[in-house]
Amino acid sequence: MPDTHFYRPTHFYQYDDYDRTLVSERVEQFRDQVRRRIAGELTEEQFKPLRLTNGLYLQLHAYMLRIAIPYGTLSSRQLRKLADISRKYDRGYGHFTTRQNLQLNWIKLEDAPDALAALAEVDMHAMQTSGNCIRNVTADHYAGAAIDEIEDPRIWCEIVRQWSTLHPEFSFLPRKFKIAITGSPNDRAAVRVHDIGLRLWANEAGDVGFEVIVGGGLGRTPMIGKTLREFLPRDELLAYLEATLRVYNRYGRRDNLYKARIKILVHEIGAEKMREEVEAEYAAIKDGALKLPAETIEAIARQFAPPPLPHRPAVVAEVEGLKLDDREFALWLKSNVAPHRMAGYRIVTASLKPAGAPPGDASAVQMEGVADIADAYSQGEIRVSHEQNLILPHVAVEDLPAVWRALGRLGFAEANVGKITDIIACPGLDYCALANARSIPVAQRISNHFAELARQHDIGDLKIKISGCINACGHHHVGHIGILGVDKNGVELYQLSLGGDVDFGKTAIGAILGPAVTADKVVEAVDAMVATYLDNRGDGERFVDTYRRIGAQPFKERVYAAV
Amino acid sequence: MAKNLSGDLSVASANRLVDGVVVFLDDAGQWTTRFELAAVARDKRGGEILLERARAEAFGVIDPFLVAVSEDDDGRIEPISLREKIRASGLTFDAIAAEAVRYA
Repeated sequence: MPDTHFYRPTHFYQYDDYDRTLVSERVEQFRDQVRRRIAGELTEEQFKPLRLTNGLYLQLHAYMLRIAIPYGTLSSRQLRKLADISRKYDRGYGHFTTRQNLQLNWIKLEDAPDALAALAEVDMHAMQTSGNCIRNVTADHYAGAAIDEIEDPRIWCEIVRQWSTLHPEFSFLPRKFKIAITGSPNDRAAVRVHDIGLRLWANEAGDVGFEVIVGGGLGRTPMIGKTLREFLPRDELLAYLEATLRVYNRYGRRDNLYKARIKILVHEIGAEKMREEVEAEYAAIKDGALKLPAETIEAIARQFAPPPLPHRPAVVAEVEGLKLDDREFALWLKSNVAPHRMAGYRIVTASLKPAGAPPGDASAVQMEGVADIADAYSQGEIRVSHEQNLILPHVAVEDLPAVWRALGRLGFAEANVGKITDIIACPGLDYCALANARSIPVAQRISNHFAELARQHDIGDLKIKISGCINACGHHHVGHIGILGVDKNGVELYQLSLGGDVDFGKTAIGAILGPAVTADKVVEAVDAMVATYLDNRGDGERFVDTYRRIGAQPFKERVYAAV
Repeated sequence: MAKNLSGDLSVASANRLVDGVVVFLDDAGQWTTRFELAAVARDKRGGEILLERARAEAFGVIDPFLVAVSEDDDGRIEPISLREKIRASGLTFDAIAAEAVRYA
């Protein structure tokens, strides 16, 4: 592998002095708060909101630090620092989450300020990863590289980040608030299941603007967002967001935790009334300070200018030869490699789902390994996907064999992206204080059962998503197969659902199949669902297509006969 | 054979302030990470007293609470709920090691 530790300019937003001062002052403020807590000058009741606003949760066994990775974009330097922090202050591994963040599960309170100071060295922090504020904004993980992209959504994520960070009016919303942005017609950011989803598209006149989708979400009451605006001019984005948040802040329920999200407000008053309220507020503020000057947008957009990718051949004899000679490489090309906007390049997904592994976990060595590969072959850039994998966005076709081998040495070259073992799973009851049941061991059993790659590719695209409680961090509602852990009289049971989807235009909440099954029957149940699909699938049909065509009954009969 | 599944038996637990580690109150009123050394309350009144004692010793720990336990014929205690079993004994799978490159 080429030399990997040279300096590389990044092609995404770089902190200025204002950002750095804000983050470093915040670290020192938290350091003092921790000192006062340990000295007994602050009670836990006083301290808890302070630590949560710095991303520090208390879980079952230890504190957990949730680190924000804005729009899922990392430089190799940042990923190395995350590895270093995990080794120095944690147990040497981390968990990439469905919100493109990283969780360290064994942080000590006394070390947390030092960990945050280390993060600040690479322009990172843990703000907006907890509390009833606007959380870290997520984006398409192929942003800036996707062949189908209309515009890089990270420009707008960054604008939203700057507007929302420590926004005084929106720091104590009725509930947490999640925004996702996609710049492609093929939604890879699940925009219809966020509090606000933004989809960039070009109208007939060729103008690019946002479809504004409000009131989606998973959790206890899953809802698909409603379109409030079909087309919003880009420079009006912040005013429209501010108007929407103001309406939510004013009318969102604060009397019932379970009814406090914006999706409940939209559901209760209806999309039409919500639109009226937002538009009225928007009309009052749209020509004010939040109207974005073109030079501001351009200045941020410049920081996301595509890296200068040299011409590389689109067809490479070595790649074609290896594809014929090595079946695993051929499968990997098929599932883990996506088209790039530039000929001669591809987007590579490093699967953090090797057989039997906890989904989304990476050791310090693996993080450093991916950083090295990114430096050598992907312009020093890495993305975190909401499906808990890492993305190398700019890999030359002729480098694919080397990248495949290098990822293989890390255990991250499993050719399973989008397949049955590319499972999303929350940390579940092994870590989480909110969970009712375990998620990771269930994912591991399914992963081991379906480990054979040829079988996975025969089954085709199938998304399994597992949550350990109704909060749905594992996105079970939108899994082709959703698995929800519940606690019934002290016994872990797993509720199965079918037909969920986040594809744009097909977004659907899965339907519960029937009675929950015990932990030891989950694999058999999934096996029965897969067998039902294989027996019934038509030409080119994915699992979820067959389900839509034949309905739940054949799946139900086979599953409950098997368990 | 487990006894007292109704949860009358209990121990006091909390998370240690400086590192979040799970701890249990022992007979001497000290917080220990060793579940088997936890002081056992044998009825509801005993549980109330144990919890009061835990709260009195709460400097250095967070939010003490009672954990329902069962006891076998050899006097070994075990938390009743899965959550508390996991708190007492750790992850139910092997986490990846810092230097690992493959999941074992």
